[in-house]
Amino acid sequence: MRLPVRLPVRLLIGLLLFGSGCAIVPQNRRMHLADPIMSFEEDPTETHRKQKFYTSREAAAGGDGAVAGGGCACQ
Amino acid sequence: MKSFLVAALASSILFDGLAGADEGLATDLFADAPPIRIESVRARYTHYDQTGLGYQSQAGPTMGPGLENATVEQAQLEVVAKQGKLTHRLWVPLDVITAASPDAIDGDFRIGVDTVSQASRVNEAGSIELQTTYQADSRTAAFVRAGFHIEEMFRSWVVGAGFSRSFADDNAVFAASVNQVYDWFDTFLIDGERVGHGDRSTTNANIGLTQLLSPTTIAHVNYGVTLQLGELSNTYNSVPLVTGVRGAELLPHLRQRHALVARLAQWLPWNGAIHLFYRFYADDWGVLAHTVETELYQRLAPTVYVRLNYRVHVQRAVDFYTTLAPDDGSFRTGDSDLSAFVAQTVGAKLSIDFPSRGRLRDAHFDVAAERYFRSNGLRASIASCAVGFRF
Repeated sequence: MRLPVRLPVRLLIGLLLFGSGCAIVPQNRRMHLADPIMSFEEDPTETHRKQKFYTSREAAAGGDGAVAGGGCACQ
Repeated sequence: MKSFLVAALASSILFDGLAGADEGLATDLFADAPPIRIESVRARYTHYDQTGLGYQSQAGPTMGPGLENATVEQAQLEVVAKQGKLTHRLWVPLDVITAASPDAIDGDFRIGVDTVSQASRVNEAGSIELQTTYQADSRTAAFVRAGFHIEEMFRSWVVGAGFSRSFADDNAVFAASVNQVYDWFDTFLIDGERVGHGDRSTTNANIGLTQLLSPTTIAHVNYGVTLQLGELSNTYNSVPLVTGVRGAELLPHLRQRHALVARLAQWLPWNGAIHLFYRFYADDWGVLAHTVETELYQRLAPTVYVRLNYRVHVQRAVDFYTTLAPDDGSFRTGDSDLSAFVAQTVGAKLSIDFPSRGRLRDAHFDVAAERYFRSNGLRASIASCAVGFRF
């Protein structure tokens, strides 16, 4: 059994470096960012229905802040 | 009622521990005891209808794949309340499952078993979870949560805690959380006989960063690691053996899972937005997976939008996946969910908000439909709708 974690670690470091180099967006220029359609999690109940469906049917889960596995009899 | 008390008690214990470390914080939280005000209520109903074949199922020929047909009716209720600097979120999902249940092997096992099809039994599952978030200041928030899940042969407890802090005039938000799940359940032989109890522990940690990239672009990355210990099979899955009979699924008692997620949201000049999602996943059972999803939003009116979504998931099988296993006691599974496959999802959603006056700030309604299909034959149709009110 092996665990290929080098790639995601490098990706994470790269993304963090990428993000840290961004220009500041002032408060008065965030009108579009405040639109609910820009939100990553617009409705927790919809997020749950998706997570439950995919977690119980695919071996690959997690990474989105939620527990990957456990909590139900569906593995 | 009992489960609510368990959740509330666990949350209270956790929160007391947090506050006990800082007397000033405790005074701040509880001295004035501001009243609780309901901020929003939302209810969602979802119907799943699944068909497919898997070698773990005994609803078919002895040496061939069996049916994985299932239907699930899922109702959720979410109530969010404010209490000064505290925000409470009470969440209650209920599932009624007409398959995939050990109910089907809970009768007279001598006349045959059917672990995942027939839909002749109904299994009810319910959870209750309470999360309390403390807004320490405009940049820092911390939360604790506790929950309880019950199925007929299964109990699960979850506790978690986390915090978030924004930097650079809210241009970046760093968040971290930890979760602990403990599952306790009946174990079975594959002929349906109950043979005792099993348990598993799931420990999970996450770190994430959300970053504004421009006035129209947001990015988010998150890394999660999960360690599972204990009985990781549901114990009633079976595997065809070279001896011409079926044997029990045998899984390792340890699993280490890593997942990295990257998201990007881009506002579009025609009152739309596009979301891009990528997840890399790897675990020490040999699964390697890539998931890509895109969601396209379009506003039709200031309070109405439609969303189209497409998702593709590619995964490698676990090292010990087989459809014909040697009878030597080595790890083995015929579970189609642990095999190699490509899964795709297409869907659409319509969302409407109704602005109101008075105490009701707005009302919300949405309806969505999705179709999930896999290269190994599993199909699922999903329909969902929600109503919500903000006060």
